Amino acid sequence: MTKRRFFFRMITSSLVRRRSRMLVALLAIAVGATILSGLVTIYYDVPRQMGAQFRNYGANMIFLASGNDARFDMDTVNEALSYIDGGELVGVAPYRYETVLIHEQPIVAAGTDFSGARTTSPYWYIDGQWPERSGEMLLGKEEAEFLGLGLGDSFTVIWSTEEDAADETGVTEQRTLDMTVTGILETGGSEEAYVYMSLEDLEALSGGSGRLDVVELSVSASREELDRFAGLIGTAVPDIAPRLVKRVTESESTVLSKLRSLVFLVTAVVLILTMICVATTMTAVVTERRREIGLRKALGASDGGIIREFMGEGLLLGFVGGLAGAGLGFAFAQYVSINVFSSSISFQGWLLPVTVAASVLVTGLACLLPVRSATEIDPALVLKGE
Amino acid sequence: MFFRMIRGAFLLQKKKMLMIALTIALGASLATAMLNVMMDVGDKVNQELKTYGANITVVPKSASVINNLYEMEGGGSGEGSYLLEEELGKIKTIFWAFNIVDFAPFIDTEVTLPDGSAATMVGTWFNHHMDLPTGETLDTGIQNLRTWWDIRAGAWLDEQNAAQGADACMVGEVLAGREGLSAGDRLKVSTRFGTRELTVVGVFDAGGDEDEQIFAPMEVVQSLSNLDGYLTSIEVSALTTPDNDLAKKAAKQGPQSLSISDYETWYCTAYVSSICFQIQEVITDSVASPVRQVADSEGAIMEKTELLMELITILSLIGSALGITNLVTASVMERSAEIGLMKAVGATNGRISALVLTEVLITGIIGTAIGYLAGFGFAQIIGHTVFASSIEMKPMVIPIVVVLVVAVTLAGSIPAIRMLLRLRPAEVLHGR
Repeated sequence: MTKRRFFFRMITSSLVRRRSRMLVALLAIAVGATILSGLVTIYYDVPRQMGAQFRNYGANMIFLASGNDARFDMDTVNEALSYIDGGELVGVAPYRYETVLIHEQPIVAAGTDFSGARTTSPYWYIDGQWPERSGEMLLGKEEAEFLGLGLGDSFTVIWSTEEDAADETGVTEQRTLDMTVTGILETGGSEEAYVYMSLEDLEALSGGSGRLDVVELSVSASREELDRFAGLIGTAVPDIAPRLVKRVTESESTVLSKLRSLVFLVTAVVLILTMICVATTMTAVVTERRREIGLRKALGASDGGIIREFMGEGLLLGFVGGLAGAGLGFAFAQYVSINVFSSSISFQGWLLPVTVAASVLVTGLACLLPVRSATEIDPALVLKGE
Repeated sequence: MFFRMIRGAFLLQKKKMLMIALTIALGASLATAMLNVMMDVGDKVNQELKTYGANITVVPKSASVINNLYEMEGGGSGEGSYLLEEELGKIKTIFWAFNIVDFAPFIDTEVTLPDGSAATMVGTWFNHHMDLPTGETLDTGIQNLRTWWDIRAGAWLDEQNAAQGADACMVGEVLAGREGLSAGDRLKVSTRFGTRELTVVGVFDAGGDEDEQIFAPMEVVQSLSNLDGYLTSIEVSALTTPDNDLAKKAAKQGPQSLSISDYETWYCTAYVSSICFQIQEVITDSVASPVRQVADSEGAIMEKTELLMELITILSLIGSALGITNLVTASVMERSAEIGLMKAVGATNGRISALVLTEVLITGIIGTAIGYLAGFGFAQIIGHTVFASSIEMKPMVIPIVVVLVVAVTLAGSIPAIRMLLRLRPAEVLHGR
């Protein structure tokens, strides 16, 4: 029998014979590795997931016309959007504002794309329903009270060219459209003082120039990336002046960095404590084998040989435990992600070797110390149990 | 005899017992730290989210109608279309007064600048000092409600600084650029009620409409618009509990629709709707409504953070429980020779179990005590590093940790003891 085969036999038989105790050690290592891989995966994914939650605050970037003469339409906007990496764009909502008459009162009407507005302003509370067809509109709560209109009411919306803007003939052009209120908009903000209709309806009323006044964007990106996008778009698309919504971007970066450091510190504390816990368990498992070490020494085994053998055992345990833990940890992170953020987590490939390496390292260190102290003692003393 | 053996065990096996105590202490400290942080994280995150500004606005009941009907340009004091300045202090006397973090009154008017152009001038509190009816004092104002303002030149207007006097103002970046104003300049503003010359103490970048406005102390704008003692709106920043079904029902159908017990629960919970309701109770002719952009998002983010922390806590509790169980099992099992000997000299199973369990539990209690203190320290480290404030000590954590440790120590030792008791003493003593 070669030396190497003997070595492996010693290790495997020690693992198999002392099954229950090895299971205890293996379990400890696996738990440690699970916590390591689970928490680190969460730590890496939380900023992304939390960032998505922060998009509840609505638009963090707006496009305005860059000057008084500049004009832009949806094609210009799409060109500008191509500078924002696709995955990070949560929503886009174009807006165009016109003054219209409802019941002879001048009211600001905003034309928008309702599916876009839903993504950029998820906090809008609609009493009733979002408009789906042409001729349907949302009424700001303030306007609804002012005009005395409610859900389901129909009326005629009138638009006419402003007198000073009328052409030389002096004729003011007038267009009308019959509309129905499908929902009352509540936001607690200035939006309540407007009425909202689809962009197509507003264009039908005020002339189909395709012009937009403001485009709201909700982009899931850090402050620096937003600055970069704004710079890129500002230079590449001269008609559009991108602006960051400071209130949202500033606050988001403050809060998000706090949350990130919270998860980081929690992860660090949990990891340190768990690793020490794994180490003490391993130490306990090895310490109880002092008698065996003494016996082997008495039989003539060298210190180096004993240490190698015990380390081999420990490292094997560390490897198997680390592997199992890495898998379990990812499963845990996935569970957390689905339950908390209802989206799946991104798998960090590099975490598998790191977890295995960390658990091998911790187990190795935890074994090394008691084995060394055991080999240093006179075997006779160990065998006598003193 | 029993106690002598236990004492002996501790004195003679000091190292081994220390090891168990250490592991239990580690597990207990992990559980303590995580539970404390988890229970406090909602409040802490809520505080952080205050950087988004006010989540409640208070306006007069009939403001919009009157402004729209008569297109008023500042002036006239129709009853019910303004809020009263003298009532502001009452906001801090409502049931949830403690949850009101900041608030600031606003009044705005159109002013004419020296070059003839018009601008909006907003009167507000910057860092107003207030003596409350309750005897407390409070410093509040937009310095806390506009944390995202970037001061480009000069500094924040300091209301409490007598040297600046009342003739100071702050100007938005866009307006300052257009008018060529910078910090230290004098700016003359006039309305049909009078003229004031103000010193520009700061230029700010707000990234919005405010960049074209002038912000001045309340009293300046009130005298310029002849509205002494009146306000047009109040912004309130309050710590709130995320809405649940009860809060939604109350907000939708009005608090009157709730049953008496539901009403009490609702009134005594810091929902944004109940705080709004309480503000309306103390401010005459007012409508307080949640700013949905802030209130809704706050709720969502807090809920997610709390849930995330709960799950991480559960994982670390399981981890520390398994860690403790493991070590206890390992350390009981290695005592097979001792237990065999005891059985050989005639000890009953019950006595052996009692002896081993007492030993382990005493170690456990010592370990838990140390672990609790250490864990509390860890929680404070997290609190101070992340939120720059200490984590509140929740008494509830103590029983949870004690029960957890006792349960897992028993769970770890009983199966091991039972297994050892099943062995035949002769075999054990032979070392098989």
